[in-house]
Amino acid sequence: MESSATASTTAEPAPSRTRRWVALHGYNVRICHWINVIAGGYLLLSGIHIFLDFPELYWGHTGYQGYPAIFRLSDWGLSWDEAGELGNRMWGRNYHFTFAWVFLINGVIYAVWSAWTGHFRARLWPAREDLRASALSGELREHLRWSSPARTAATRYGTLQKLSYSFMVFVFVPLMLLTGLAQAPAFAAAWPWLLDLFGGRQTARTLHTIGTVVFVLFVVVHVLEVLLSGAVNRIRAMVTGRFRLPEEAQ
Amino acid sequence: MSERRAGITRRRMLVSVPALGGLLVTGCSDTFRPPVVRSGLIGAADVLTMSTSRWLQADQPLAREYGREHIAPEFPTWGQTNPDDERYQQHVSEQFRHWALPVGGLVEQPSSFSLADIKALPVRTQITAHVCEQGWSAIAEWIGVPLSLLLEAAGGVKPEARYVVFHAVDGWYESIDMFEVVHPQTILAYGLNGEELPVGNGAPLRLRVERQCGYKNIKFIQSIEVVDSLAGIRRGTGGLSSDFGFHWFGGV
Repeated sequence: MESSATASTTAEPAPSRTRRWVALHGYNVRICHWINVIAGGYLLLSGIHIFLDFPELYWGHTGYQGYPAIFRLSDWGLSWDEAGELGNRMWGRNYHFTFAWVFLINGVIYAVWSAWTGHFRARLWPAREDLRASALSGELREHLRWSSPARTAATRYGTLQKLSYSFMVFVFVPLMLLTGLAQAPAFAAAWPWLLDLFGGRQTARTLHTIGTVVFVLFVVVHVLEVLLSGAVNRIRAMVTGRFRLPEEAQ
Repeated sequence: MSERRAGITRRRMLVSVPALGGLLVTGCSDTFRPPVVRSGLIGAADVLTMSTSRWLQADQPLAREYGREHIAPEFPTWGQTNPDDERYQQHVSEQFRHWALPVGGLVEQPSSFSLADIKALPVRTQITAHVCEQGWSAIAEWIGVPLSLLLEAAGGVKPEARYVVFHAVDGWYESIDMFEVVHPQTILAYGLNGEELPVGNGAPLRLRVERQCGYKNIKFIQSIEVVDSLAGIRRGTGGLSSDFGFHWFGGV
């Protein structure tokens, strides 16, 4: 399949004038991506279960029912009892920690592979000239047109896309991992700096929950972008690796 | 921090428990994997979680201890708060004067300790965060006897000892392995925030195992049993929480 698409599977596929197909994603990216979809889905669902069994957020070291909270689900129309009936923290904990390991191992494989092959530098890291205000505002205007032939044919990530992927890989994931570990008494004992870093277990729990919202927003935008830039072609490329160049780009 | 704190060094604590030798020689896998490994991906994750935690805890770090200013205005009562048991209620009305704790199983001298006996043993006071697996946490001062010193008062544990099992008045039971037993902060608490341990928090005696979640910190302890295997006890998973489906290792 790969060889029929193009002779080379370099990280920077060049659109070809003679072939209708290009190799867009290497198998490592594809495998890691779909494992991430499964692990991320379970992490989100199980995380919601855990949260619903204690639907309040606090700041600092201390937080319990009756202690001043910074967020209460009951203020938003779902009572403690109703939330408790929806949430199953035992199921949630079992699956959250299981898929945290799947996510972590998958992420380490992806990171080592990407650093080794130069994937980060070639595909994910924005070029300096792309970060100029004029370039960014141009791309933003382009995005506000929702869908365009250029985006439907794009075989490289846009700058905003690179920035958001880089943020998720290098900032979001490490922070979610650390705020998660800071909540675990075994890890907080071994690494007491975790508690100092976030200023307490409840702060870590609150940041972890805010991170969940960021994750949902990322997924929503990501899926929306896929839908707007040729859903079938994009999803097929993430499954088979091959991307079909639209007519006008050939 | 407290004039009542016993001068227990980590070295003395480790040397004082004969089981540690056995732990290092034969029972190493106990330290890294739960007594019953669940099936499938969840069981694999359990082993990864426990072995990673224990690997990071190789030098037996203490859980963070806080200053008095961090003590929560009130310590929540959760779960069982007043066992409906005639004999227990009798003990409550007598301020536990006739209450006694049998310590049996694989100890050299199976014994029974009154609350006064237990309070006569070296005291450890620690201000720590109780981390409930549900999500809440509260800092409180716990006063009690290090579990290893109570076991020493029962003659010490036999070399084949691997787990300590706690049975509670309300039918709850829980167990911890020797890695946690020898830890200086693993205490049997009879005091909370300078007062006698209230009924709502597990009077007269509850476990504090500070590097694990709330559900391992069993309340209303009525007997202690040292064993080499959890297989014959109740459903064999090592605790009522793990019978329900929680991970036996409560470190996360």
